[in-house]
Amino acid sequence: MKKFMALLLALVMVFALSTVAFADDTYTLDVIIAQYGPNTQEWFLGKGMDGSNFVEKFEAANPGIKLNLEVISWNDLKTVADTRIASGQAPDILNLDTFADYANEGLLMPVSEYCPEDLFADFFPSFIDQSVIDGVCYAVPDLASARALFYNTAMFEEVGIEVPTTWAELEDASQAIIDFYNGEVYPWGVDMTTDEGQACFAYYAWGNNGGFVDENGEWAVNSAANVEAVNFITGMVADGFTNPNPATQTRYDLQDMFAAGKLAMIIAPNQLPTYVADKGGEVELATADIPANEGCTSSSVGVMDRIMVFKDEAEADQEARNAAVAAFLKFFYDPENYVGWVSMEGFLPAVDSAVGALVESDPSFEAWLGVLNNAKFYSTAKDGWDTVKQGVIAAEQAVLNGADAQAELDALQATLVK
Amino acid sequence: MNNNTLLKKSYPYLWLLPSIVLMGIFVVFPIIIVFKLAFSEISKAGIAGGFVGLQNFRDAIALPAFKTVMLNTLWWVLSVVILSTVIGFIIAMVLNQKFHGRKIARAIVVFPWATSLVIQASVWNYIIKYEYGNLNNVLLNLGIIKEAVNWRMSYQVEFIWECGVGIFVTIPFVCFCVLSGLQSIDGSLYEAADIDGAGFWSKLFNITIPLVKPSLTVSTVLNIIYVFNSFPIVYTMTKGAPVHKTDTLITYLYMLSFHERQKGPATALSVIGFLILCLCAGIYMVSVLRKEDN
Repeated sequence: MKKFMALLLALVMVFALSTVAFADDTYTLDVIIAQYGPNTQEWFLGKGMDGSNFVEKFEAANPGIKLNLEVISWNDLKTVADTRIASGQAPDILNLDTFADYANEGLLMPVSEYCPEDLFADFFPSFIDQSVIDGVCYAVPDLASARALFYNTAMFEEVGIEVPTTWAELEDASQAIIDFYNGEVYPWGVDMTTDEGQACFAYYAWGNNGGFVDENGEWAVNSAANVEAVNFITGMVADGFTNPNPATQTRYDLQDMFAAGKLAMIIAPNQLPTYVADKGGEVELATADIPANEGCTSSSVGVMDRIMVFKDEAEADQEARNAAVAAFLKFFYDPENYVGWVSMEGFLPAVDSAVGALVESDPSFEAWLGVLNNAKFYSTAKDGWDTVKQGVIAAEQAVLNGADAQAELDALQATLVK
Repeated sequence: MNNNTLLKKSYPYLWLLPSIVLMGIFVVFPIIIVFKLAFSEISKAGIAGGFVGLQNFRDAIALPAFKTVMLNTLWWVLSVVILSTVIGFIIAMVLNQKFHGRKIARAIVVFPWATSLVIQASVWNYIIKYEYGNLNNVLLNLGIIKEAVNWRMSYQVEFIWECGVGIFVTIPFVCFCVLSGLQSIDGSLYEAADIDGAGFWSKLFNITIPLVKPSLTVSTVLNIIYVFNSFPIVYTMTKGAPVHKTDTLITYLYMLSFHERQKGPATALSVIGFLILCLCAGIYMVSVLRKEDN
């Protein structure tokens, strides 16, 4: 009897397992999405997409594909991604800003292997160019934002000054603001923290005809223009024209000060007006070009994040996987979904097909798209970007504490050309 | 030996088995992996390659911030452990006295311990903020200062604040360890000392401290480990800025691994940290236990 029961049990288990195996003909994609703001989680997993969410709608539209989607805070995103990759659990799709280290280690699939041609043609070419290494594109942009100078118009009228366009004018305007408000208002906001210190470097290096790379595309962080740029902005701090603790005060701290009328000028992304309104700030603001050094061209800073797909050598059916990824991308960039996603967090689109609907909903998008077209981007496609990013932040912070800019940038450059 | 006796003898080991298995999986195994990684080549994405000997250790020691970070870690552990022990001991002595509202006072002391370190560090960040900080607001309203003070005027001061917050959050733990020791002291010892004419200091050094010593030993050893490994306070308050000048070993190796993607040296640093910790805790435990045996 016992033997009979054991046999019966074994048969039931085998049957149950085979049922699961036969029933499981769906393909599951592991997806990690960056949390851009409080709405991201709701849009992808909650009720933020017309009472439903992205995952539910995607799975309804693509019955053969399941999404195992996680929304992860920017603070933890790289930690989670690297830990998953190191333990052999890389996601199928990852949403992140940098990609070059993964591509250089052969972990990413070329975009041409999974992205439908019509969708690829829809991306702004200048964005796609930022994700190309040795002629191969390894990631597609999911969204972008552009930085510009925002200033408190009421303060400018009160003090009686014009918007500065050069560094010299910026120093004069800062002095006028300090004098008028008796030091109660910071004229200029500076963020040299590990969050965005690389943006600070870019604002002034690019505004002095310098930058991260030279005309041949080689790292050139210690150029004379860059040294002058770092000395200029740390000099602004030393002169008392900025917030007092740039190494620990993040852009969000500065935006809070701007919203509270404590800061007169700030370089910020296009979402700043929404941020100020959400904080209950009542400052009147306007935008202008970021001031550049005399005789140099002002350029905006474009910031772009990406969607990349990791290789999965263990997957037997690569075609099915590529088809699932393609379905994900088509659904995500479908104007019906994508316009809602981009406008929800106040970003700028990465595909041409979304522009019309976005401009219709908010005419200010058109001006920002113009800014974005002339923007410069970080050299994220170049090997060593992470070292450069952390290196320029460390150099700025060291100069703030009395170190020599030339020596600091020389030391960084030496590590890059080893 | 019959089966029953064998079973009885194996009982303690059976009861210990789940703990040993869990410790093996979650403590010993990761330590072995970290040691293996420390001697391996590791890519920027974190994929381990071949054996590289001591190269990761050489790279870690050659890092410009290494010396600063090791000194910071030393100051961090010494200041937090010593000052929190002294202050916690004094507060425990006070809380051991009989007075109205003693229970409420004890509950208040526990509060910092019951709150997450990230929340505490964030709250302190707001307190000492220059622009809208509560400390400046209170002092301005009381008329103690005439204009707001930049409480984070230099990285040295920022590091002192980090240590201060570390001390603040560690005091409750020491306090309650000592309090449990104080409550176990027989009151008749103090009565006898009073009859013999012993004063406060005499009672403190001849009765209280010797009898509270076991509790202090436990709290000190645990504190050395907790404080050395503490991450949230430093990371929340400064993220090591500027240029790792306010980092301790633990926050530095995290920044090195996940921000700078130098995973090899970061793994080597974690092994160095582990060995330092083993050495400190080991020396302390052996010396204290030897004295107790004597």
